[in-house]
Amino acid sequence: MTQIAITPPGRAGSTSGFPRRRKKPRDYVGIGLWVALLISAVAWFVPFAFMFLTSVKSKADINQLPVWSLPTTWEWSNFVGAVETGNLWVTAGNSLVVSLIKVPLGLLIAAAAAFALARFRFRRHRLLLGLFAVGSMVPVQIALGPLFNTMLSLNLLDSKFGLILPYLAFGVPYQIFMMYGFFRAIPDELEESSAIDGASTFRFFWQICLPLAKPALAALFILDFVATWNEYAIAATLLQNQSNWTIPVAVQGFNTQYTTDYGGLNAFIIMSAVPVLIVYLMFQRYFAQGAFSGAVKG
Amino acid sequence: MAPIQSLARTAPGAARGPRRRRFVRALPYLAPAALLYAYFLAYPMIDAVRLSFFEWSGFRTESPAFVGLENYVRILTKDPVFWTALTNSVIWVVLSLVVPMMISLLLALALNRRMIGRNLFRSVFYMPAVFASITVASIWRWIYNPTLGLLNETLRTVGLEDWAQQWLGNPDIALYSIFAASVWQGVGFGMILFLAGLQQVPPEQVDAARVDGAGGWQVFRHVSMPALKPTTVVVIILTMINSLKVFDLVVGMTGGGPAQSTQVLALWTYTQSFSNHNFGQGSAVATVLLVISLFLVVPYLMWSMRSDKE
Repeated sequence: MTQIAITPPGRAGSTSGFPRRRKKPRDYVGIGLWVALLISAVAWFVPFAFMFLTSVKSKADINQLPVWSLPTTWEWSNFVGAVETGNLWVTAGNSLVVSLIKVPLGLLIAAAAAFALARFRFRRHRLLLGLFAVGSMVPVQIALGPLFNTMLSLNLLDSKFGLILPYLAFGVPYQIFMMYGFFRAIPDELEESSAIDGASTFRFFWQICLPLAKPALAALFILDFVATWNEYAIAATLLQNQSNWTIPVAVQGFNTQYTTDYGGLNAFIIMSAVPVLIVYLMFQRYFAQGAFSGAVKG
Repeated sequence: MAPIQSLARTAPGAARGPRRRRFVRALPYLAPAALLYAYFLAYPMIDAVRLSFFEWSGFRTESPAFVGLENYVRILTKDPVFWTALTNSVIWVVLSLVVPMMISLLLALALNRRMIGRNLFRSVFYMPAVFASITVASIWRWIYNPTLGLLNETLRTVGLEDWAQQWLGNPDIALYSIFAASVWQGVGFGMILFLAGLQQVPPEQVDAARVDGAGGWQVFRHVSMPALKPTTVVVIILTMINSLKVFDLVVGMTGGGPAQSTQVLALWTYTQSFSNHNFGQGSAVATVLLVISLFLVVPYLMWSMRSDKE
């Protein structure tokens, strides 16, 4: 979104990386493809447009006007009302606290563990890595029942801290798996020379490995922030009191409590997604840069 | 990778010293992650397996009673919902491997070319993935609303009244209605992965193939496709795993209904444990889900870690 490629339409067809021929004939395949993409993109955008239109319509307009007509009066008060009914500031505050503690802390814990697995090369480190990886992939719903009991016995039900702990446990393994490859690829010579310069293992980790892994950390930061902000199953299981709800639990609560307040619901959804959209746009550069290359190398 | 491996025997710094001491020195870095993992992930998973051999309401006042394999006998022979959930999960996995994966691949191939608005296109297709699944469920429930929703209203406007129906209220199609929402949400992520994979297609080979007179399809078939193989494996495995995890969309759109027709394994274990207060059978369903997941995950991990042998 930040850097839209400005290329004349005639060139649209050339495969990237392939040198363009001079005086290329008009590329009808490329144009056809572009039109097809445009139609699909519009189709993909329709739910967002519908959501926005609903959010600015009054109840009467929603009931009487055709779906695609603009509202007779722009009902911005839906947004004000939704803040109130959905308790937006409290729930967004909860989500923000949980995400802002969990995401950086989780990345640090995961980086340390990935460093230990990748650089110390102790016996069975690959088995341990495999165990972490397995944990990152099994469905969380398997563990929900016993997890509820654990949190109950620790007296941590219905609290932010009690939510952050399982979030860390379920988020860290995948990050270890991703960062392992990064730390593994750091040449031994670098470690050797830093040791000769008198740097401790910790300094090698903190001042050399972590900065080198910045692209991976940035990509994992977005992924994890979005995932944490959006997590529903664990939050719905462990949180009870409405004042502790996070955004997804509140969206579902809104949905079931005010079933006919469509304007308010859609206004609430739009507002609840603002932070993830900001984070996504801010870090999109890293995201597009092939931060996933580690994931697909196989 | 080769030079790093050859150096491993004379590894410096952290990897110096006998292997047991190395583990002791690695421990401070490893401990926080390992403890969290063991206590809040591994233990609950194992405890779910243990509980599947007990009968328990989940209330603390009552203690679990050992019943052996009784819970498994019950879910396999006396619980039709379990079979519905299992079938739906399998349907979901198979459909996910076909529909969203194909769309993701086509989008990635198309958006790998230079064109006006390429990044805008990519953003539009990816944007639904940024929204919470439970939110996507809300959006689509509203789209599917029988009287006021976008879908039925549009069908009526264009003269297809007969097609308008209870998208989420009809047991025959509700599952597929939910699936459509998941396609809308999911293709962006697959597209990003395939785009990352396409970066690894060597441009010289594309050029060479073109010079030799290969057409678009031939270039794809003989140059891009082999280079995309590792990416495809990753996407396939992630797609299958994510299909087994489907939960939020179903909870938000139908809650498993109507008449349990959209029940899936991940939701059925939850419903049994928490709504029906039947932790034993809920855990038995969880164990089945765990076994299926491990059958998918373990071979994949062995494949992906094979290149990392010391």
